[in-house]
Amino acid sequence: MRSDRVVKGRNTHGGKKKFTISMKNKLAVLYGIVLLAFIGLGIRIFIINRDNGQAYTMQVLSQQAYENQTIPYKRGKILDSKGTVLADSQLVYSVIVDSKQILEKDAYLEPSLDALERLGVNRATIREYITNHPSSQYYIARKNLTYQERKAFMDELEEGMAQESKDHVPSAERTYSNVKGIWFESSYIRTYPHGNLGCTVLGYSGANNSGNGGLEEYYNDTLNGVEGRQYGYLDESLNMERTTIDARDGNNLVLTLDANIQSIVQKYLDEFNEQYRDNTHYGNGANNVGCIIMDINSGAILAMAGTPFYDLNHPSDLSALAGMPKLDSRDEATDSYLSYADILTMSSEDKPRYLNALWSNFCVSEYYEPGSTAKPFTMATGLETGTVSLDDTFDCPGYLTIDGFRIRCHNIYGDGLLTLGEALERSCNVAHMIMAEQEGKENFTKFQNVFNFGLKTGVDLADEARTDEFVNDSTMTDATLATNAFGQNFDVTMIQMITGFCSLINGGNYYQPYIVSRITSPSGVTVQTTEPRVIKKTVSEDTSATLRKFTLQVVEGENGTGSTARPAGYRIGGKTGTAETLPRSNGEYVVSFMGYAPYEDPQIAIYVVVDRPNVGVQDDAKYATRIVRSILTEVLPYMNIYMTEPVSDEEREELEDLGLAVTYQGAESGGDD
Amino acid sequence: MNWLTRLFKKRGNIDYSLLFIVLFLLAFGLVMLYSTSSYEAAAEYKDAAYFLKRQAVFTLLGLIIMVGVSFIPYTFWKKISFLTYMVSIGLIILILPFGLEVNGAKRWLALPGIPMQLQPAEVAKIALIIFSAMFIEKLGRRNLLSLKGFIAPLIPALIVAVLLWKITDNLSSAIITMAIVMGMLFVACPDYKRFVAMGASVAAVGAGAVWFIVNSADQNSLDFRGERILAWLDPQAYAGGKGYQTIQALYAIGSGGMFGKGLGQSMQKLGFIPEAQNDMIFSIICEELGLFGAVSIMLLFLILLWRFVAIASNADDFYGAMLVVGVFSHIAVQVILNIAVVTNTIPNTGVTLPFISYGGSSVFFLLAEIGIVLSVARGLNAEEVLER
Repeated sequence: MRSDRVVKGRNTHGGKKKFTISMKNKLAVLYGIVLLAFIGLGIRIFIINRDNGQAYTMQVLSQQAYENQTIPYKRGKILDSKGTVLADSQLVYSVIVDSKQILEKDAYLEPSLDALERLGVNRATIREYITNHPSSQYYIARKNLTYQERKAFMDELEEGMAQESKDHVPSAERTYSNVKGIWFESSYIRTYPHGNLGCTVLGYSGANNSGNGGLEEYYNDTLNGVEGRQYGYLDESLNMERTTIDARDGNNLVLTLDANIQSIVQKYLDEFNEQYRDNTHYGNGANNVGCIIMDINSGAILAMAGTPFYDLNHPSDLSALAGMPKLDSRDEATDSYLSYADILTMSSEDKPRYLNALWSNFCVSEYYEPGSTAKPFTMATGLETGTVSLDDTFDCPGYLTIDGFRIRCHNIYGDGLLTLGEALERSCNVAHMIMAEQEGKENFTKFQNVFNFGLKTGVDLADEARTDEFVNDSTMTDATLATNAFGQNFDVTMIQMITGFCSLINGGNYYQPYIVSRITSPSGVTVQTTEPRVIKKTVSEDTSATLRKFTLQVVEGENGTGSTARPAGYRIGGKTGTAETLPRSNGEYVVSFMGYAPYEDPQIAIYVVVDRPNVGVQDDAKYATRIVRSILTEVLPYMNIYMTEPVSDEEREELEDLGLAVTYQGAESGGDD
Repeated sequence: MNWLTRLFKKRGNIDYSLLFIVLFLLAFGLVMLYSTSSYEAAAEYKDAAYFLKRQAVFTLLGLIIMVGVSFIPYTFWKKISFLTYMVSIGLIILILPFGLEVNGAKRWLALPGIPMQLQPAEVAKIALIIFSAMFIEKLGRRNLLSLKGFIAPLIPALIVAVLLWKITDNLSSAIITMAIVMGMLFVACPDYKRFVAMGASVAAVGAGAVWFIVNSADQNSLDFRGERILAWLDPQAYAGGKGYQTIQALYAIGSGGMFGKGLGQSMQKLGFIPEAQNDMIFSIICEELGLFGAVSIMLLFLILLWRFVAIASNADDFYGAMLVVGVFSHIAVQVILNIAVVTNTIPNTGVTLPFISYGGSSVFFLLAEIGIVLSVARGLNAEEVLER
């Protein structure tokens, strides 16, 4: 058919050239050559597979470098009772530089350095690194790049690249498209938005998600999640399979602690510390000033703080150590204090010792002799065991001789004849020594145990101290019993004292103190709730009522030692304490006030301890009561507790200065006196 | 009107087997292109189908052109062959002021108004086929036997080759243009000796150059082509530099085995073979489809080339046959060079695999060439059409 047409073509156009037989043959030869080339190449592919197949397969797999990669989890948040974030984990990125890739082409270097500079990396330093380590593929150039910073960088890069390809910029002149060898590696860092707020309560968590102190340590496992994994494996037909197991984020803690109350507390502790700083000697206003505020009817901790504070975001900042007492070889405080010069020259062995002292939670980990704040417990023991009655009177000549020791009262001239109430109001040592004598060692030690002195309260904070060496020894000497009666010769922690005190006031319910009210999942679902837990009954309601009345007298009584603790507009009860530290007669005291408010309907207990105030005469509980007064003046209105008492003009002025309203409604809502 | 009706009456003579093979290659090419490029496309353009979409557009345009060209009597090209040739040269020269640089090479012209670029080298190849077929026909058998007559048709090819080499720094396109014309001459000229001699001398010069480079006292002073020779001889030693692409392609081929890792399962395309969808796509075919897939593709090309042989042999006239021989040479040379580069049989030079590699200009003008072949297959020459 075709040849037919060829013939026809030739007939009509005789001059037209045709494709001759010899040309067809040559085309066939050409095809033959091509065919040979194809066969040769096919053989070549076969040979590559036969000779190097195994090696190349291994090579391909090995250069995948698909190493197991962990995906970080997000450590749970810590929130206060109102939802304020106290501790959070934020996604951050490390900038990884791959020198090898950057040096691949000349056009890459400058744009990549520009990009690194935009990421906050020092240009000269990184240039030097890249030129000195041309084969390095993993170098952390910068840490802690925030999500926003990274996003801004990536957005700019993407936009720039798109613009450059749109504008057809020659590849050697491109600034964005030639950014090579920069990677990001994600991780989380712990941040504390409020700096030192609740520092010793929270504790801090380092980069490896391991909590140090406080809640971060106690609830470490709860806060931590489970790392995810991304890994590759080879299945039976040598295919690389990839699997990603997502990370499971940690649970959140919701606290009973209220950030506002906490900051009021810290404000006044700090104020005290600054007021008496370098007062009689160089150093802080006191070795420690601690304060706990507790819900009297549940054991929930509303605030807890102890000076010196430290910034949770920079826990190892040594400058916070300035003014702290130097430590002796047994880590006990001495009479000299750390200066900035000392800090600069501090040895590497000393640094952790001092930092541990700084991070230590004074309220639960440190112990001391409670002094007169133990007297309500001595009295309660007598009332509960029936060995002391409400009608008892005590004659105080100013001292009592026991076992040949002459043990003095504060009032060396003697308080004279005192009723039970007056004994507490005046904080008479002699009266309480007589009470303890009446009770006997067995009853006394039994009730020390009932009040949980020396034992852990079980509060959910790390490093709670246990101090029961002396407390439960019924073979004690008479002198020991006598001194124990007014809070000497046995050690307590602040949390022990205030928890016991709450039970004295609330009708005898000893609540286990706690600070975490709820644990929530990363999505916010509550997974665990803490209910207030009564561990034991300590005293009867009658005894409790008696002590409420007597401790009120300590503040309101004519001779009361705690009158300076009363905030304007409220009635509160409490007990002062001044305890001489060991060795005795060195003039160093731990002064304190332990109280509850308001008198009519006790809601909160507050305990302030000033450990060796930086003043000339330390044995004055006013250093503690004034702090209590300041704190309660702000905290009670904040808690919506209405004033029950009229306020004087002077007090009104003071309240106005603080921006607080006078909530006194008139006589009808007044006290019951 | 009369002319047109006659034109369409002749539709029955379409070479369906050629058409089918081309369509199959195109479809297969798109599948492989997607498999090969999706990883990089997703990484760079946030769209896995970025390259696929662009290539599909060019393929579609190319198919339209192919159909259109197949309806044009091929003798039409003879009339405008000189113009075509001059235009193609003009386009190459236009690169000098207006050229677009991509990956360090200035080989493209931006088309005004549309986001597409034209590669003048691809225009030059088809133009040279059209022009050389006319030239060789004009010279006639007798003239071709003389030295002067033999060299004459090589000169326009040489001009194009030198321009491509010097302006676009594209040695492989220069080699291909020369090879196309050599192939046409081989078929047209009833002589073997001179071709054997030429082949031998090219081989000798090549071997000499390699020997010189290998024994060169200061290998650091070599230009990039010299380094490529060294990388060719020992790709492992240059695995971090010039030999990188080659050795990675060899890894891909070697790890494919008899039946490959399966479509889409290549690991080498995951950033190890840069721009694998271009020159190195055949190595990914070997990796994913194995020796079996590679040989299948080569067989398809052989069948395609065989169709060209058949069409040329049955062509109405010498000019039509020469056009087909030109297309035959073009595709044969590119396939051979591409596979030879990928398998490191020859030094690395950028040659795309026809119909399969990514490249808009390439697939577009290749389909135009197929259109010409189809028109030859249909015995479509203007004189006849007008005559009937």
